[in-house]
Amino acid sequence: MNPGARRILSAFLVAVVSLGIFFPSAVAGARDVAAELRRERGRLLEMKEREEKTARELTEALRMEKRSKGRVDQLQERLKRQKSLLSRIDRKVSALNDRLERAEKAVRELEAAHGQARTELRRAEVVAFFGQRAGAGDPWHPSDRERERHFMRVYLAADAEGVARITRAREKKEEELTGLERQVAVTEKKRTREKKVGDTLLSRQEAERTRLAGIEREKKRKEKELKSLRAKIARMESVVSRVERQVKERERRARKAAAGKSAAREPAEAPRRFASLSGGLSAPLAGKVVTRFGHQHDTTFDVTIENRGVEIEAPSGASVKSIGQGEVAFAGAVSGFGNVLIVQHGGGLFSVYGRMESFLVKQGEAVKKGMVVGRLPESPSGKSVLYLELRAGGTAIDPTSVIPLDR
Amino acid sequence: MSERPSLWWIDWRLSPGSLVRETIGRFLLFCLLGFGLLSLLLSGGVSRILADRYAITAVLRAEVPSGEGEGLARKAAALPPVRSATYRDPEAAWKEFLRAYPGLDPLRGTGENPLPGYIEIRIRPDRLTVEDVELVASALGAVSQVEQVLAGEDWLPRLLRAGRLASWACWGIFGAFLAGFFLVGRLQERARAVALAGDFAFLAERGISAGRLAFLRAAGAALAGFLLAAVGTAASGGVLFLSLRKFPFLERVVGSPADLLLPRTIASAVLFSIGVAMLCGAASLLGWSSARSGRK
Repeated sequence: MNPGARRILSAFLVAVVSLGIFFPSAVAGARDVAAELRRERGRLLEMKEREEKTARELTEALRMEKRSKGRVDQLQERLKRQKSLLSRIDRKVSALNDRLERAEKAVRELEAAHGQARTELRRAEVVAFFGQRAGAGDPWHPSDRERERHFMRVYLAADAEGVARITRAREKKEEELTGLERQVAVTEKKRTREKKVGDTLLSRQEAERTRLAGIEREKKRKEKELKSLRAKIARMESVVSRVERQVKERERRARKAAAGKSAAREPAEAPRRFASLSGGLSAPLAGKVVTRFGHQHDTTFDVTIENRGVEIEAPSGASVKSIGQGEVAFAGAVSGFGNVLIVQHGGGLFSVYGRMESFLVKQGEAVKKGMVVGRLPESPSGKSVLYLELRAGGTAIDPTSVIPLDR
Repeated sequence: MSERPSLWWIDWRLSPGSLVRETIGRFLLFCLLGFGLLSLLLSGGVSRILADRYAITAVLRAEVPSGEGEGLARKAAALPPVRSATYRDPEAAWKEFLRAYPGLDPLRGTGENPLPGYIEIRIRPDRLTVEDVELVASALGAVSQVEQVLAGEDWLPRLLRAGRLASWACWGIFGAFLAGFFLVGRLQERARAVALAGDFAFLAERGISAGRLAFLRAAGAALAGFLLAAVGTAASGGVLFLSLRKFPFLERVVGSPADLLLPRTIASAVLFSIGVAMLCGAASLLGWSSARSGRK
């Protein structure tokens, strides 16, 4: 069987099932079809549950992706700073090496100068010794000898001072050299440490990138899965709606045929129909509309979602009242909407209350306008949300167009 | 004969030959003694030599500029005991030092000069005494630009003592020469008196007293001695003057030729001539006396 034929068949089955749910007394012997329709609805609920789960997983994946990207950015920033630091350390090491080289050269030169000065001093002492000996035997120029002796002392003192000066300069340079060597060693150690830190950061960044890639893959997969599920749900809901319309049409025809009196009402008049309910309509609870009806753009997933109802934010545990009189058609859990209560107001009008904590009425029980039918769940934030959907002749209408709600 | 003959220059009349020889000898001797006398007077013995050898050195501080050093030298030269004061800048001091220690030249490859400038002060020969040297040294030592004064503190007294001894020796030699001249002159006078004894006896028989004869002979000898000494000293002075002009290095030993014309030099020469005249007269009397008594 080809996929097209299978879709037509399943649509037919869904329609039959739908008829069984909403009009159990309209078709004789339709109990099995109704059961089938419930099963299909169960499948739809399962699909919605899966959608919800996938959406949660996607949200989680996005959150992880965001966190991972943040970490990658943070690591990149740290890596950049580390590289800058390493660059600075390299420059410092280079400058220190230059200074070290110059200091070593200066020390070598000073050592050579020191050696030469000492040699010259020794030679000068020898010359002075022999000169004094020669001069001692020359009493003919006593004053000249005396002056020469004095000048020789001055000369030797100057030489000795030169040697001492060079010695001091050499010692100072050697101290400087030692200090530079120490600085170079410390800087090298720091460089090694910072390089290790940089390597660690790099490896962490790589690991984080790998992880991010995995998350992105997972995210894409989830997005794809979500898209597929939503398409299925949309198709399924479309089918259900079509069946509902067909059921309604049949009901209208049956009524027309049976009573022959009531005129057909156009679906376009659905809001007027809701407004003309006996007893009027009232808000299910006091709160603010936080999700509007119709096509809404979701910035998180960058998709356009069609909302068939509205979400009203109210205090946690608030009582939910029926918007009008009718009969409870359904009370149970629905995937994606939590505990759902459906009230049939007659004339193809339904009101759906989702995300409830508990029900105070049972299926088949008659309710009046303003009657408490259930409660919202408790939440740590003190706020809970009620999902409210209105359907008229199988078409969802904007609840805010018929019920005064705070927007 | 009514006219009495003159007894002046009696020996010249009685024995002219021997007297010419004696006179030439004495003139040469007086020239020599006059030369020695003038030399000693000018040089002060060895004082001038010592003064030329000895100098006070005022070593200046390294930062003293040349102009200031020269000014200090001029001020030092104005001190009374100072004959000359010469400033030597560090460069000149270094060159002198290298001349004294030539082995040091290649050791100072950088050409750096560690020596300061100095002032060399020379003392006047007649003021070369410990007191005057100390006066100059203390005056220089008080100057702030002077780092040290080298005045030969340890060897200066010895040098001055040696100088005094040498000077005394010079004058002693001069005196010995004079004494020798006196002894030789006495012997010559005696010999001549002995030789002319017959002539003198003849004159005595003619009524001329021996005393008068001896006096006149001595006076003639003294006058001749004075004239010979004066002329000889003058001649030697001239020779010395010419020598000093021709050989200036002698000035460092003897002195300036201009000093020959100083009054004290001339007075000393005159005194020397008078002294010589007296020695000549004394030698004549003693020679006469010994000849008359038969003693030697």
